[in-house]
Amino acid sequence: MNARIAIALMMLTAAGCKSLFEPPVNPGAPAPNPASEAPGTAAPPARPAATRHYQLGGAASALVAQAHSRAAAGDYVAATATLERALRIEPDNPLVWIELGRVQLSAGSPAQADSMGRKAVGLADGDPSTQAAAWRLVADSLRARNRNPEAAAADARADAFAPR
Amino acid sequence: MFSRLRKISWRRLLLKWLLIGSAVFLVLFSCYFFYLDRSVTKQFQGTRWTLPAQVFAAPLELYVGAPLSMSDLLEELARLRYRPAQTLERPGTYRRQDARIDIALRATRFADENRRAGIITVMAGPHAIEALRDAAARDMPILRLDPLLIGSIFPTHGEDRIVVTPAEVPVLLPAALKAVEDRKFDSHHGVDPEAMLRALWVDLRAHQIAQGGSTLTQQLVKSYFLDSRQTMGRKAHEALMAIALEMHFTKADLMNAYINEIYLGQDGDRAVHGFGLASQFYFGKPLSELDLSELSLLVAIVRGPSYYDPRHHPDRALARRNLVLKLMADLNVISAQDAAAAAARPLGVTTRAAGAYYPAYLDFVRRTLRRDYRDTDLTQEGLKIYTSLEPRAQDDAERTLDRELARLEKTRKPTNAALDGAVVITSPSSGEVIAIVGGRRIGYSGFNRALDAERPMGSLVKPFVYLTALETHRYTDASIVQDAPVDIRLSNGVHWKPVNFTRQTYGAVPLVRALAESMNLATVAVGMDVGVTRIAQTLQRFGLERAPAQVPALLLGAVEATPLEVAQLYGGLASGGYRTPLRAVRTVLSTTGTPLKAFPLELAPVAQPDVVYEVDQMMQQVMERGTGRPGRALLPPGVTVLGKSGTSQDLRDSWFAGFSGSHLAVVWVGYDDNRPTGFTGAAAALAIWAHVLADLHTTSWSGAMPESLTDVSIDYLTGLQLEGNCADPNAIHVAVPLSTQLPKDPNCSAPNAVQRLGERLRAIIRQ
Repeated sequence: MNARIAIALMMLTAAGCKSLFEPPVNPGAPAPNPASEAPGTAAPPARPAATRHYQLGGAASALVAQAHSRAAAGDYVAATATLERALRIEPDNPLVWIELGRVQLSAGSPAQADSMGRKAVGLADGDPSTQAAAWRLVADSLRARNRNPEAAAADARADAFAPR
Repeated sequence: MFSRLRKISWRRLLLKWLLIGSAVFLVLFSCYFFYLDRSVTKQFQGTRWTLPAQVFAAPLELYVGAPLSMSDLLEELARLRYRPAQTLERPGTYRRQDARIDIALRATRFADENRRAGIITVMAGPHAIEALRDAAARDMPILRLDPLLIGSIFPTHGEDRIVVTPAEVPVLLPAALKAVEDRKFDSHHGVDPEAMLRALWVDLRAHQIAQGGSTLTQQLVKSYFLDSRQTMGRKAHEALMAIALEMHFTKADLMNAYINEIYLGQDGDRAVHGFGLASQFYFGKPLSELDLSELSLLVAIVRGPSYYDPRHHPDRALARRNLVLKLMADLNVISAQDAAAAAARPLGVTTRAAGAYYPAYLDFVRRTLRRDYRDTDLTQEGLKIYTSLEPRAQDDAERTLDRELARLEKTRKPTNAALDGAVVITSPSSGEVIAIVGGRRIGYSGFNRALDAERPMGSLVKPFVYLTALETHRYTDASIVQDAPVDIRLSNGVHWKPVNFTRQTYGAVPLVRALAESMNLATVAVGMDVGVTRIAQTLQRFGLERAPAQVPALLLGAVEATPLEVAQLYGGLASGGYRTPLRAVRTVLSTTGTPLKAFPLELAPVAQPDVVYEVDQMMQQVMERGTGRPGRALLPPGVTVLGKSGTSQDLRDSWFAGFSGSHLAVVWVGYDDNRPTGFTGAAAALAIWAHVLADLHTTSWSGAMPESLTDVSIDYLTGLQLEGNCADPNAIHVAVPLSTQLPKDPNCSAPNAVQRLGERLRAIIRQ
């Protein structure tokens, strides 16, 4: 009986609070945009712990695998070119930015890695494990420049999302 | 006796001098021939040609989910000159059955790998690719089509060529050349005296030099070593050099040299040399893929590339092509049936020159490379340059600009000047430039408006004024600002009293509305409060090259920028506050395929992501409710795009700049002589911009809201916060910093009982 009332009330308020019904996370599909996801809500919903789980689509993950083998062979130029192909397919996927940043770090461009990590942090909103990976990249890029206190702070932010 | 002696001595003397003369002549001639032989051989050994750099477009990526329909695929294959065929025996062919297409790919060199020829299968749905398989029916994750050759960087008035190896030459080509130009090629020693005498006889009767009678070797000598003036002395010189060449090089080598050397057409400043380039120039495909009729046409053109130009004199070209076919059949090089079948075919030349030419884009490529390479490197070293040009986007943008400008002109009184414009399309996350239209005359390499037209930005500057205001943390998207008369006393004592475009004032308005409707007075009020200096700094941080004059008029766009620079500036707004330097070149390879230089993606933070997000939210309202609204109807309904209009003083420049999730486009419309157009940015550039974006199959803008912000609902007109279940037709969403206190709409603030219950229920469910 209580359940019925609850359902009825939920239906009544559905128009006013669409965020009640978070769409199921679709792996590989472009992530939903939180800003446009909740039109009509009076107050913004509290930020849920994990609303997304970023994954790479088939094409991008094949390219990332290829980039890994190229980077392992020390060919960072080719690895970068391959990851840029992946980025053209999924420009908003933070995982690709993290991969690209990792290659920049290996190639000796920690400042670029830092920017890419921070860009990934912004894109990874709602996906704690990806946010953590992005902060770890930022931390590593800071450490590579001997900015250890800042690196520790970045690591702490990563830990807050996904403890090691 | 005496006289007899004298007679004898006279004869002896004559003989003696004759002998001496002959000996001297022989010595001199030998020296001359030796010298000729040495110089000819020396020049002809080693690298025979300087090779202009070849420029390639971005290859089209195929993968499951790629937003390509069957017609998109067919269009791209046509652009790459793949031909439909029943059987896929030869690379460069395809076979389509309904939603399935099998493609016999050519062997291709990409910037990062070589790919062998092979057959693939693609299943295309109505909007996207549904399956991609190799010849063994295994699923492939991703595959690139060939990169389109879009041109070469050759010296002014210079030779351009694509060198082909003997393996790339169809066997019928040497056979046809021999049949038509030099039947005794395989046996003579460089000259064919019989043919020369025959030609001389014809020439003498005609009292002019009309017939060549030259062997292929002589033609090669003439083209490679000499200029084209025909004199008897030169003919002898040419014959001797031909003999010298024959002494040192094999027939096969000479034939291949001929095939690569000979002049076959003119394309503006560019001289088309060799069959490799001629094949691209006339048919848009590699020499190895030409059929009998196409090969015969090229052989026909040898005799007179201008006289037999198939684009300008198709009748002459056709007649001579069929003569070539007949000669080949007469000599049993081909069968009479094949000759007849080939003769029945149309010429088959492409309407537009091979590679279509994108002069404005190539101009940008050239300027990019001049920073790292000398001109001679670009025009002589045979570099391969891989760019990010997307031919489909470029073609569509060119068409759209011309069509829309013609439409706009019809709405105005005819003038003697032509309305012109420019379009730049980029991928904002990577900074790659994917199309540049430098003007209305497509393929005309004149004034490149996209790169060189420095025009006042007008209201395009406003997002940067507001961004700077948000950075002070004294403003939010919902801040109420005053759109009221402004009177600013400038340093020279003059009073500056700008007005709104509508000549009205709007009073208290939220910041978001002031931007959406491009209110001048509100913008000046905000900008003066924030400080002109800071705004100038913002513009430079985002990529404006020259320091703008720090005057109040800067707030309304008294700063000049080219369309390309605007694309750079707006890139930072489109990619969350990161500047990525615009680039057209991905990689440069040496002629042997060694990577020489890459231009990787670079990111530089230029603004906090939350501030940029707030600006983006306002630019979304430009499209939904502001000056960009007329463009909405031209775009797919579900696609979120952001933009800003710009109009300079007296309507001289009409701008629109904006972006979606995957593309950024800037459009400028105006007159070259800077006369007023009579159009605002929204009236002229907006429609072009919207059409350009709609043609791109672009994706929705979907910036991720930074954690420091929260989404609020406000009334667009008043800026008052709306709470609860309020049916306000003017409700819009903006992002403001967390804990921002906004004035509430009294009619719309208290949540009703049901909503309160809903809130509580949600809280329970979360627990």
